[in-house]
Amino acid sequence: MLERLFAEHRLQLEVDVHMSLLDERPVDETPVPEPQDPELIEEQVPFRPRALVRSERIEILLAAAAGVTGSGVMCLLFDWTHVLTFAIWALLIFLVSIYLLARDSQSPIVATDRLITTLVWTSGGIAVAVLAWMLGYVVVKGIAGLNYEYLTSDMSKVGPLDDGGGVFHALVGTLEQMLIASVLSIPIAILTAVYLHEIRGRLAGIVRFVIDAMSGLPSIVAGLFIYTVWVLQGRGPSGLAAGLALAILMIPTVTRTAEEMLKTIDDGLRESALALGAPQWRSVMQVVLPTARSGLITASILGVARAVGETAPVLLTAFGSSSINWSPFNGPQADLPLYIYQLLRQPNPAQIARAWSGALVLVLLVLILFVLARVIGERGARVRGGSR
Amino acid sequence: MTTVQSPQTAETTAANRQVVSSEILPEELHPSSRIDATDVTCWFGKRKVLERCTLSMEPGEVTALIGPSGCGKSTFLRSLNRMHELVPVAAIAGTIELDGVDIYSEEMSPTEVRSRIGMVFQKPNPFPAMSIADNVLAGLSLSGMSNEDPKALVEQCLRRAGLWAEVSDRLNEGGMSLSGGQQQRLCIARALAVHPDVLLMDEPCSALDPISTRVIEQTIRELCEEITIVIVTHNMQQAQRVSDKCAFFLVESIGDPGRIVEAGPTTQVFENPSDPRTYDYVTGQFG
Repeated sequence: MLERLFAEHRLQLEVDVHMSLLDERPVDETPVPEPQDPELIEEQVPFRPRALVRSERIEILLAAAAGVTGSGVMCLLFDWTHVLTFAIWALLIFLVSIYLLARDSQSPIVATDRLITTLVWTSGGIAVAVLAWMLGYVVVKGIAGLNYEYLTSDMSKVGPLDDGGGVFHALVGTLEQMLIASVLSIPIAILTAVYLHEIRGRLAGIVRFVIDAMSGLPSIVAGLFIYTVWVLQGRGPSGLAAGLALAILMIPTVTRTAEEMLKTIDDGLRESALALGAPQWRSVMQVVLPTARSGLITASILGVARAVGETAPVLLTAFGSSSINWSPFNGPQADLPLYIYQLLRQPNPAQIARAWSGALVLVLLVLILFVLARVIGERGARVRGGSR
Repeated sequence: MTTVQSPQTAETTAANRQVVSSEILPEELHPSSRIDATDVTCWFGKRKVLERCTLSMEPGEVTALIGPSGCGKSTFLRSLNRMHELVPVAAIAGTIELDGVDIYSEEMSPTEVRSRIGMVFQKPNPFPAMSIADNVLAGLSLSGMSNEDPKALVEQCLRRAGLWAEVSDRLNEGGMSLSGGQQQRLCIARALAVHPDVLLMDEPCSALDPISTRVIEQTIRELCEEITIVIVTHNMQQAQRVSDKCAFFLVESIGDPGRIVEAGPTTQVFENPSDPRTYDYVTGQFG
């Protein structure tokens, strides 16, 4: 009891002392923060924190060096000359070294993580490298023959050893056949996707099964089918027949991709449209399809990309030709893959060079279509002010 | 308590509100409608989720449906404008009458029911492919109506939803560029544009911040003079603030269907409930 009184008293005393100290403190001593000159404040430099510390980066470099030297030594020892052999061994040694170095310096878990990360990176790199290599090859082989005359003349008056000649007839054929195939297949495919995912009719399961089976259909079978039911029925070869065969090939690709795109549309949007009193067809036409627009364009591009490089069905339906045929409804017509195929088989360097230029034209055509479709899709989205 | 009422917000929204004067409201206001649900039972497949719910939603009143999650409030709400049947395995029994006409009878089509009984969903979902103005007008073209002065309709609906002041200078921008609360008010404006007699709201504020919630609650209070409103909410304070009448839904034990335990004037349900389970729920001792 006494102790507590004492303690309280002491506390009171201390407080008093503090208070008196406070009272005595001169006012002007309180630190006033000086206004800083804004020019003296250092500009902040943004930086990205690095995922790997220096020792790890050195390990990766070491592993790369080990791969290159190891593979180089093996190539010298065993007298391997192909560049791919070197690359494959270098990659293998690099991966093993990465794993071993990380396991020794840190732990097996870190090493596995590093190894798998590296594998993922290299896989992506290989995919890009193969594509770049292939494209580069086509460009290198084809660029020499690519000029205005090549693009605007056909092969009708070109003898086996002549100069000149070109790709115009095949380009026209490809464009016309792709247009026919797209006009026929894309609306059917998108409506089928709507049936599968929006209407979800009783036959959806069967339709989806048939579409899946169709996507595995060898293209030459589609060509044979049109050859039998169209070309041989007295209608003869034509660009239209080729368009029909290509449409058969495009439908499954576009349908399945379009269905996937429709799946990404939030169900809330459909419900909102219906809750406003919309019949289902208006909800689909005015809300679902416009929202899925850029996805549907992608689906269509994938379909075109599937068909534009097909040779076999065109060979059976349009037969190919060396002169320009403007009409897709009458008579044989060339197209680019067929042009390349037919010229490459000839034992003549000039013809083979033309084939490479044709391949370059085909690649450029696909690229242009791709960019065009993207631009149309993006511009549509921007006009409507979508922020996505 | 989720709604923080800062005095400043209250003032600004009040200022916004003053712009909404009666002269922009349509002259030919249709009289409010009433919905009478009698013995409504709902199934999903074999599972009964709602049993014999009877409730009258009076003209010009806000009816709040409260209760724990999974008790069938939303199912009941969706049965009121035939959204329940959109689920392929859904089935329903009982009658729901809009001004004396059974909405499930041959006399009414689902699209007619839905354009007379509008709905606002839990998640704000403006149509991404449309501008703000087009979103408001979407209901007209979707339900095949026409309007001779769409501009005026856009302004009128946005004003009634309390959004006009914020978006009047960017009506052609996309609806997705708005904030969550603005998007929800845009959805309310969209629902109002087809002149519904009844507006159903399924937890319209659950994804929103307190300030947006407050604006929407004010909107509800103003709309209820012309439109009968039914709102599902998990927020007891919100039910007390906005509703005139309250129905408490409950699943007694797991596997049972949801039932209406008590329905009546909001003050009575909250201050003097006749059922002890209602008392437990509204005082937060359960659920």
